Amino acid sequence: MAHSLSAKCTPLKQSYDSCFNTWFETYLKPLPSSATQSEREEWTKGKTKEYEEKCGKVWEAYRDCVSKAVKDKGLEQMLDEARGENPLVDVGSVDEER
Amino acid sequence: MRLFTQSYVYNDPWSIVSLAFLLRYPNPFASHVVSCDVISRTTSPSGTLLTTRLILKKGSLPKWFPAGIVSRAETWVIEESEVDPINRTVRCRTRNLDNVRIMRVEEYVSLQEMDGSKTLQRTEARFLSRFGWGLTKQIESHGVTKFRANIEKSRQGVQLILDLLRESAFRPLPLGGTGTILDYMSFRRNSGPIASGSRTDNTNQS
Repeated sequence: MAHSLSAKCTPLKQSYDSCFNTWFETYLKPLPSSATQSEREEWTKGKTKEYEEKCGKVWEAYRDCVSKAVKDKGLEQMLDEARGENPLVDVGSVDEER
Repeated sequence: MRLFTQSYVYNDPWSIVSLAFLLRYPNPFASHVVSCDVISRTTSPSGTLLTTRLILKKGSLPKWFPAGIVSRAETWVIEESEVDPINRTVRCRTRNLDNVRIMRVEEYVSLQEMDGSKTLQRTEARFLSRFGWGLTKQIESHGVTKFRANIEKSRQGVQLILDLLRESAFRPLPLGGTGTILDYMSFRRNSGPIASGSRTDNTNQS
């Protein structure tokens, strides 16, 4: 598995990734086409709950490790700015930032 | 601004292509990926999965690029994806966070179920340089050329993961691991040829 940006977090990342990947494979499985919209919604709700129960703890540990590493490397501001951005920003307005 | 678009059809169902796409790092065709972290992952009220990943990629600068402007040929990249298992779509947007004045590259990828058993991938990439010094056009053209060459490599990477996933569905996993597909992938990595199916490919550029 790919490394974390901080070597310290790599073991946590690997535990989290393998938990997530196992769950994710089942999340993508197709429901029979006869399933109604509400059955589908019910199913994804169940999946979300299952993910939180199975991977919630290791996710928190991994996330805490990465957010600390992001701060330590001084990447926090760059990341916050990027994430606050409107994804539909058009090229014209990018030019005007000059 | 330069634009690159491409459509591609995988002869595999949406669920396995989407799995391969999201699990594509690491693979032998993506040695430029230094690190890859999930920084946020939530499910939306409608049941879709929203993921933000922070990726460090290394690259190389063209020979004609002025020296001393970029201290290291590495770029932080943010990837935001949404997986919708009900409507069978994946949407993914990737862009660089630093060196944006030299060039900002935004890539949009969508994966959609097609005819029940195939998957349509649409890729759109925008290249915008604000560098000036008479190099803006040259930088953008270089970006498009590199992207065109690399999209092939990145697809080979996804294809490799796809083949491993497909095989693992029919064979028992090797013993001694945690029993996930990833044990199988690390077991199989660098061994055996890459199978390739028949594909249709269509490129256009404006």
